[in-house]
Amino acid sequence: MTKKYRTSFLHFSLPAVVKWAFVFFVFVPLIYTFILTFTGCEKFLSNFDQLDAVTFLLLLKSGSIALAVALLSTLTGTFLGFLLYKMHIKYGSFFKIVLLIPLFLSPYILAVAWKDLFFMLLGETQFITSVSGLVLVLTTIYAPLAVLITGNALMNIDSQIEESALMISRFGRVFTRIILPLIKPALLSSFVLIFIFSISEFSVPAFFGVKVFTTEIFAQFSAFYNHALAVLQSSLLIIICILLLLGEKNYLSEAPFFSIGSKGTKTRTYHNKKYEPLFLSALILWITISVVLPFLVLFVQAFNGGTSQIVKAFELLKPTFATSFWLSLTGTAITLFIGLTAAYSSVRGTGKANLFDLILLIAFATPSIILGISLIKFYNQPFFNFIYSSYAIILIGYTGKYTFISTKLIANAIRQVPLSLDEAAQIAGISKSSRIRKILLPHISPALFGAFIISFIFNLGELGTTIMVYPPGTEIMPIKVYTIMANAPQALTSSMTLIVFSVTLILIGGFYVTGKKLIKIPQE
Amino acid sequence: MKAIRFLVYSLFIVLLVSCTGKSNEVVVYTSVDQVFSEPVLKDFEKETGITVKAVYDTEETKSTGVLNRLIAEKNNPQCDVFWSGDPVRTIVLKNKGITTPYESPAAKDIPGAYKDPQHQWTGFSARARVLIYNKSLLPDSVPQSIFDLTKEPFKGKVTIANPLFGTTTFHISAIFSALGDEKAKQFLTNLKNNDIIIATSNGDVKKRVASGEVACGLTDTDDANEAMKEGANVGIVFLDQKDSLGTLVMPNTVCLIKGSPNSKNGKKLMDYLLSRSTEAKLATSCAQMPLHKGVKVPAGVPSLDNIIPMHIDYEKTAQKLEEIQGYLKKWVEN
Amino acid sequence: MIELENISFSYPDKKVLDGFSLSLNQGEISCLLGSSGCGKTTILRLIAGLEVPGKGRVVLNDIVLSEDGKNIVPPHKRNVGFIFQDLALWPHFTVYKNIAFGLEERKVPDTKERVRKMLDHFSIADLAGKYPHQLSGGQKQLVAISRSLVLEPDVLLMDEPLSNLDVTLNRKILQHIKDLKTSFNVTIIYVTHDHREAFAIANNVVVLNNGKIEDSGNVDHIKNSKNNYLKNFLEY
Repeated sequence: MTKKYRTSFLHFSLPAVVKWAFVFFVFVPLIYTFILTFTGCEKFLSNFDQLDAVTFLLLLKSGSIALAVALLSTLTGTFLGFLLYKMHIKYGSFFKIVLLIPLFLSPYILAVAWKDLFFMLLGETQFITSVSGLVLVLTTIYAPLAVLITGNALMNIDSQIEESALMISRFGRVFTRIILPLIKPALLSSFVLIFIFSISEFSVPAFFGVKVFTTEIFAQFSAFYNHALAVLQSSLLIIICILLLLGEKNYLSEAPFFSIGSKGTKTRTYHNKKYEPLFLSALILWITISVVLPFLVLFVQAFNGGTSQIVKAFELLKPTFATSFWLSLTGTAITLFIGLTAAYSSVRGTGKANLFDLILLIAFATPSIILGISLIKFYNQPFFNFIYSSYAIILIGYTGKYTFISTKLIANAIRQVPLSLDEAAQIAGISKSSRIRKILLPHISPALFGAFIISFIFNLGELGTTIMVYPPGTEIMPIKVYTIMANAPQALTSSMTLIVFSVTLILIGGFYVTGKKLIKIPQE
Repeated sequence: MKAIRFLVYSLFIVLLVSCTGKSNEVVVYTSVDQVFSEPVLKDFEKETGITVKAVYDTEETKSTGVLNRLIAEKNNPQCDVFWSGDPVRTIVLKNKGITTPYESPAAKDIPGAYKDPQHQWTGFSARARVLIYNKSLLPDSVPQSIFDLTKEPFKGKVTIANPLFGTTTFHISAIFSALGDEKAKQFLTNLKNNDIIIATSNGDVKKRVASGEVACGLTDTDDANEAMKEGANVGIVFLDQKDSLGTLVMPNTVCLIKGSPNSKNGKKLMDYLLSRSTEAKLATSCAQMPLHKGVKVPAGVPSLDNIIPMHIDYEKTAQKLEEIQGYLKKWVEN
Repeated sequence: MIELENISFSYPDKKVLDGFSLSLNQGEISCLLGSSGCGKTTILRLIAGLEVPGKGRVVLNDIVLSEDGKNIVPPHKRNVGFIFQDLALWPHFTVYKNIAFGLEERKVPDTKERVRKMLDHFSIADLAGKYPHQLSGGQKQLVAISRSLVLEPDVLLMDEPLSNLDVTLNRKILQHIKDLKTSFNVTIIYVTHDHREAFAIANNVVVLNNGKIEDSGNVDHIKNSKNNYLKNFLEY
């Protein structure tokens, strides 16, 4: 009896360990701060009084902006995704990559470029710094995300499903009645994700001087030092994000056919000679607007006074390259590992997974500053000094912010792998760990790779939390750009942006080359 | 399974190993732009052999990072010295009980007005609030007083950074202390009625004026100096030199953090920052005015000898600041 | 008459047909028989209009459907039904909606009745409210057939529709298909690699190999063919 008891006591499952680790390192600090804030003082009640109609009106404004951005981005993204992934377009694979560039840059830098562009062209910036301008800029930033998500879904529609409809109806109807409904989960994911990104976006509205909910939270932090109210307001944001994601989840679970993996043997692509020039122009127009123009501004500014500023920018950033690379890489590895574990138990496991999904979501939806403050409050104790004064604190920040996204990407991929593949191996008596390694992983390797790239880009550019917690004396790329940017000549700022962008591009290029060698996609 | 478990353990070990032991070092948080503060700190490192570990932030983004970090770290301070670009933030820290007194011998000759009576903070190299204007947009008449900014010829032509943050808040508070609430509020209302444009930061004010988007604006001397270095067609005016009000002068301030881990080295760093040589360096790099008498400054850097400063009590002005912030927030939003 | 005249067609990586011609009679069940990769599915897709010949033309009852790279009549106007290998039922529609969709698109007034009739004909009325993922293989098959027939096509194209079913079901469905010709007055072109299926239902069999016709004729003719390839093929 004793023996049996001991084995069951000592036996712990890996997913459980990973999850508890995340809960302890990221979630507990958050909860600790929230509880501390809400129970801290009598000021708490007075803060509740400050959640007045004005606050909610502002939240409504932010919500409307996010709604507009999410709708526009998803619409544009679906259109472009269709052109790129379902039509024969000249240089399609080149466009696919170029289109993603805005995702590689910090929104703040793009906002600066946009404003300068408007001033260069029109001599005034009234439009771009208005709510409509904000929506426009955020749309150009987030549409690539929608292209990625919807494009992937479009590729996965079985060609015969579309063709059998084409036998019956003209293309327009097939598109609206068959294709769009079938990629509804992707449309919804894209919408929800972009909504959350937009409503929590701070740097762009702050730079344009558009007052939104996040800038209000920021003002409470930096002008009034009222942490309690800021945390309270943030909770409203977090609640909205959670409700949205739960809504999405609920909808998907009510439509069982969506969750059934139906990876098409091949995807149908369309030719249309008549409209091809039109589509090509639409693509080029979009890329010009979202990529070429802002970059033109950066180039003009960077090389305005020769190459000296580029050289200086490089010298300034050089000491940050190695640190930032290893930190992002380690962070990505951790994020991916937790993401894989969580995704696996969420898709293939039972019950409790949902609770962990919620925890990941809360960490993701928490504004960067609050996450930063929470990590300081929790880890800045003598006992935890080894974490707080080391790179570990930055890694915890990365993990907290981005595990949710990689989990989501990986879970989607796992859903598409037929369960029968696993069951066949199970019957053959193959252990769970080798089933995961030898059967599941090869099938989801493209998605894992995608999640890797996205996490890496996000980690490499993370600013909001890192600036709160980075150990004194360390050199990290986005922090350096950000702190040097103030009062530096425009040419230096633009040069640094271009260098950061090139470094990111080179690293991603390197990953692609290595990835191609390592990953062999199973052919069905 | 074993392999994965091994991975988890090794990750933890990596986390553990990455922590560093304490040695001969000093930790400084600063809201002074890195381009200007880093060279000074590097020199200190070279001259004393004490390793400086710095956390930078920028005034451009209201120093939210360092200040909130200092507040959050209160119970277990990691930082020895806070070097602020203005007196406001150190006074916020003082009021929250985060600073500890230190009377630096290096600051003996700095005038008393720029020092905390209890030595919780000490001022050095100062900036002034100036008007920056675009020479091609304002060829004839340039405002000479803050009150000119409310007049018809400059309607819609003046910009100011968001007064909720940074040195602009301090400027407005100083105006409140100097004029009294009623007159100051009237002044702000008049500014609003004259269609003043609110920029995101002093740097943004500089940029807009330099590019010709706006004719003139209120900013700090270092920002204005930067614009001139970049070759923009701009000029600067020290306002209110002919009347009694004077121009607002804002010193850098430095303070020692209470319960800091390396307070001995912290004091050394403070002595270094408060020295004449540091003031000379900052005069060269970002046109800051030395508070010590007789420090050599390059041509073109203003000197306290030839401008009339606004006579204010920094402590009281900081108090005023807290009082009027709610009002300012409404002023910005309406 | 369905006529393919001098057709050349290639996929980006592979030439499939080169100067291929074929004509099939109305009112018959024709089987295209051959091993995989012989071009039989491509021929169906050309007739359906899902592919366009690079050279040559496809003609149905004297109407040119496509010619030299141009799709003259789009798939949905050809009055042709297509049953896919995977059946390709729309996963987000119920059985009823799967069958009714085409009629609704054509704004046919008695859609309900016609769907009802079709459901009754194949005795699947009780499945009307179910989704494809809730059906068995044989049921899906019948829904797919109903979905095509409800539009009263002149020609029904079937691409190995039995490949995913078990043997007993096969026999039942084959019988259903055989009956279709008489009860719905439809021309059927049936693609398979299994000569037993072909012999069970076809009036006319065309044996294909590598994009070329090896032999064609009625079942007896094919069974007794002297063609070397065919003799070899039938042995398996």
